[in-house]
Amino acid sequence: MRLLLVLAPLALALLGPLFVPERQQRHAPFTDSGPLGTDFVGRDVWYQVLSGGRTVVLVAVVAAALAYAIGVPYGVAAATTRRRWVDEVLMRPLDLLLAVPSLLVLILVATIAGPGLVVLIVVVALVGFPDVARISRAAALEVAGRPALEAMRLQGESLRRRTGYIGRSISRSLAADLGTRLTASLYLVASASFLGVGVPPDAADWAVMVDRNRVGLFLQPWAVVVPAALIVCLSVGVNLVFDRALKEVRP
Amino acid sequence: MTLRAYASRRLLLGLVQVLAVATAVFLLVQALPGDAAVALAGDQPDPARIAAIRTAMGLDRPAPARYADWLLGLPRLDFGVSLVSGRPVAEFLAAGVGPTLLLAVPTLVLLLPISVLVGVTAALNEGGRLDRVLTSLTTGLHSIPEFALAVVLVAVFGVQLGWLPPTAVGVDLAANPAVLVLPLVVLLARPVCTISRLVRAGMVDALSSDYVRHARRLGLTETRVRYRHALPNALAPAVQQVARTADWLLGGVIVVEAVFVVPGLGTTLVDAVAARDLPVVQGLAVVFAVTTVVVNLAADVIAFRLAPRTEVAT
Repeated sequence: MRLLLVLAPLALALLGPLFVPERQQRHAPFTDSGPLGTDFVGRDVWYQVLSGGRTVVLVAVVAAALAYAIGVPYGVAAATTRRRWVDEVLMRPLDLLLAVPSLLVLILVATIAGPGLVVLIVVVALVGFPDVARISRAAALEVAGRPALEAMRLQGESLRRRTGYIGRSISRSLAADLGTRLTASLYLVASASFLGVGVPPDAADWAVMVDRNRVGLFLQPWAVVVPAALIVCLSVGVNLVFDRALKEVRP
Repeated sequence: MTLRAYASRRLLLGLVQVLAVATAVFLLVQALPGDAAVALAGDQPDPARIAAIRTAMGLDRPAPARYADWLLGLPRLDFGVSLVSGRPVAEFLAAGVGPTLLLAVPTLVLLLPISVLVGVTAALNEGGRLDRVLTSLTTGLHSIPEFALAVVLVAVFGVQLGWLPPTAVGVDLAANPAVLVLPLVVLLARPVCTISRLVRAGMVDALSSDYVRHARRLGLTETRVRYRHALPNALAPAVQQVARTADWLLGGVIVVEAVFVVPGLGTTLVDAVAARDLPVVQGLAVVFAVTTVVVNLAADVIAFRLAPRTEVAT
């Protein structure tokens, strides 16, 4: 049940584009032709649904990965430094980021940098990385105080081996948090696309579809309800699957 | 640390925070592409005209001077003047605050009772069927983007069933409470999930704690043990989350305002960014930062009072 909830939209998102014909007929906007009718410019909604999930899913995953790629080294560096001021200099600015609403950051940066998927990825990662950094710092701080690490340092083990040890030790805490980060990333990507940040206005993208087809809600509700429902299923599914996995790992 | 010393220290820290956010946003806004003077010159981008507009708006002065002026105006609630309409920024903020409060206040009023009800019910049935259903529900619903939920609800209740108005276009919000029902449901969905889970966890912990066992041994009634002794301690972590929610609500819920066409602070922000109306963007950022600081301070003080043992962030 849980798995179906996440696998159905995920499969649709990743495999859907394969089933979209190269050449598509245009119809009148918001009519009933095709299984789900047509959208605001007369494209077939079913094909739009098939091709619109890939960007949402990929951008969310890549952005979450990027947030980890920046956040983990950042947090570990703050935790393992022997100079307190370095820790302060690294972590204090992150508190500030919290005081600014994430969508404000998103809109501002996207306006400065212009539209584009790369911009969207970078901004979502930027908004998400303070949390990753904070969690890695907390986890690494506990590891850094262990006698094992002290012993390694005294024995003159290389920085690479010590970092490897820390990495292995904190990977569990980080994995526990992965579900939250992924859903948060998905949430931000979808909301940003809905607001028109970083994606072209006629993109085949579930969130953009919801936004653009809203005007025809009375005429042809499928064009709005199907992509919205898919996003809902995907978020709920990802959250439930990770929650269950977490319970099994750490009962 | 006494409460008073703690509060004043936090207040000072908050002031620094607001100042830093104001500075950061000023810098970010400087980096925005597009020149407001060029935009205002409109159809006749005549260099002389652009220069005239620039002088009139003070855009030709160096950035540090403008920054200093702007910063000194803030304590007097002088946020500068809108580039697009020439009206004071404070007017924009005042216009947006009304609808935002109209959404935020009822949400906050309903939030705690509902979350406590759900959380306590789940905690009292710990491990039972009701608990499992409630926990799955709150875990699942928690991550849904507001716009998706909002659109589905509008399609069902606004369009198919026709029970509630789908959007607030051209409607006086205060006079038509029915308009607010769907936005409130959407706004409540995520926070209720988060907070009821916190309440449940806190309540489960509290009910198995030594002091509750002791209270029971003393022969206090179960109701008294649950609601006078266990609940306040369970609420302390929830209060922090309520603060984050309040902060989010008062910051203008951009997405919900966009879906339901509510002219609150979020809409003001989106419009201002689209129109390159930089003073308005800056003013909004300062307001948001002040809200964050004040709300979090209030929450920490309340949490301190609820469970004095709790460690508070310094």
